[in-house]
Amino acid sequence: MSDPAILSFDGPIARLVINRPDARNALSIEILDALHDRLAELEADPRGAHVLVLTGAGKAFCAGMDLKAVLIELSGDPSLGKRLLTSLAELTLRLRALAMVTIASVNGAAIGGGCGLTCVCDLSVTHADAKLGFPEVDLGLCPAVIAPWVLRKLGPGVGRRALLMGGVMSGEDAKAIGLADFLAPDRAGLDSLTNEVAQRLASGGPKALAATKALLNRLDGSEDRDAVLRGAELSASVLATPEAQAALKARMTR
Amino acid sequence: MIRFEILDNLAAVTLSRADKRNALTPDMLESLTGVFERMPGDIRAVVVSGDGPAFCAGFDLKMCAADQSGETMRQLLTGLSRAVRAMRAIDQPVVLAAHGAAVAGGCALLGGADIVVAERQTRLGYPVAKIGVSPAVSAPFLSSTIADGPARARLLDPDLICAEDARSIGLVHELADGPGATRERANDIARHLAAKPGIGVAATKALCNHLSRHRTDFAMEALTVSLSLAGSEEERERLAALWS
Repeated sequence: MSDPAILSFDGPIARLVINRPDARNALSIEILDALHDRLAELEADPRGAHVLVLTGAGKAFCAGMDLKAVLIELSGDPSLGKRLLTSLAELTLRLRALAMVTIASVNGAAIGGGCGLTCVCDLSVTHADAKLGFPEVDLGLCPAVIAPWVLRKLGPGVGRRALLMGGVMSGEDAKAIGLADFLAPDRAGLDSLTNEVAQRLASGGPKALAATKALLNRLDGSEDRDAVLRGAELSASVLATPEAQAALKARMTR
Repeated sequence: MIRFEILDNLAAVTLSRADKRNALTPDMLESLTGVFERMPGDIRAVVVSGDGPAFCAGFDLKMCAADQSGETMRQLLTGLSRAVRAMRAIDQPVVLAAHGAAVAGGCALLGGADIVVAERQTRLGYPVAKIGVSPAVSAPFLSSTIADGPARARLLDPDLICAEDARSIGLVHELADGPGATRERANDIARHLAAKPGIGVAATKALCNHLSRHRTDFAMEALTVSLSLAGSEEERERLAALWS
């Protein structure tokens, strides 16, 4: 089986691809482990890339948590949900702490935790036909791991509304509320727009970019590890309730 | 002057003093707080709106001007702070429909709501420094809703802004045409929220509250700042001048 997360380099621009297109790049333990490994490589990389583009292979960017793994009846492992959520929490902290500037290139569906990853990136580029959103509440879940990142990205009021309303929105609506920073007219235009943004950022001095990003992380509370790690515990406790498990089961068998 | 109605699993809380543009009295704010503090557990979402031509024109300033001691103003400020905190504190999401005017104390009520729909013609803002009143009481909730830059501008600049501008800074989430459509859209959103599994919505609202606690923890300090000016000479002169 091919690598679930692929890292490549093009001069100062690194590219990390979530690579489980047949599962819409949903976050399983396998994918999360691979993403952790690739970020570890980036942290230690001597090539000194100063921009990272995160994207998904195939039609989706990332469909969110692997629902098969969090439905206890199916996984047979009540602890798996918490392990997944904790790994996602650690991944968001790690991605945010990277010295390089990060860009989410949202090629298709970015749902729940997947949409959360776009909020952890410094900037996001999407296209009009992409679908983004936080449908956790529709399944009786609480998006606690990603909530701190969503509120930072959208501002507390708009973020509150997005998390409570659930559902998904178009790339255009995402651009309108600040969930996406750049909008391509369609999927075909996404790669060139992403490349344009990445090249523009890469033209900055790497030290200046890293210092600015580190300052922004300090200013906006991104270094508060507890908020995200406690979010994993809260999210896991809601996930384990009969109400949430019933809503998940109904979704899986729909 | 506060109407409370239940329809299925939704609650409607309505400011009902239409002939005074729903100007807030200490009694109204006490009822408003009580309604939220006693919200039945089986309610899944709450809609707040106002009767008559405007959502809420703010405090009843005639009452304030008639009370030279500043006690009425103190009751209003304390009551407003409590009401907004009570709206925030309930498990259920609060959807607010604003039309006509959401001014001063009326605009402050938006800070207690999770989702705000405004009629396109609504004017919003905090023009209270003009009458010697500090809008500090609203600051913790405004700055836990919108970015710091626009919050600062809104609290210091006495001008009112239009609903479109309020949406662009995130004070309002959606616009609608006419008061009827605004209330209907708020009801639609409340029904949409009420149809979701309750546990996820309640946990998510509580989490959003928790994540903005570094702002709302200032609620009592902010109230103290506003209270410190109640009954001051500047305030008494400026209030009296409104009717001279």
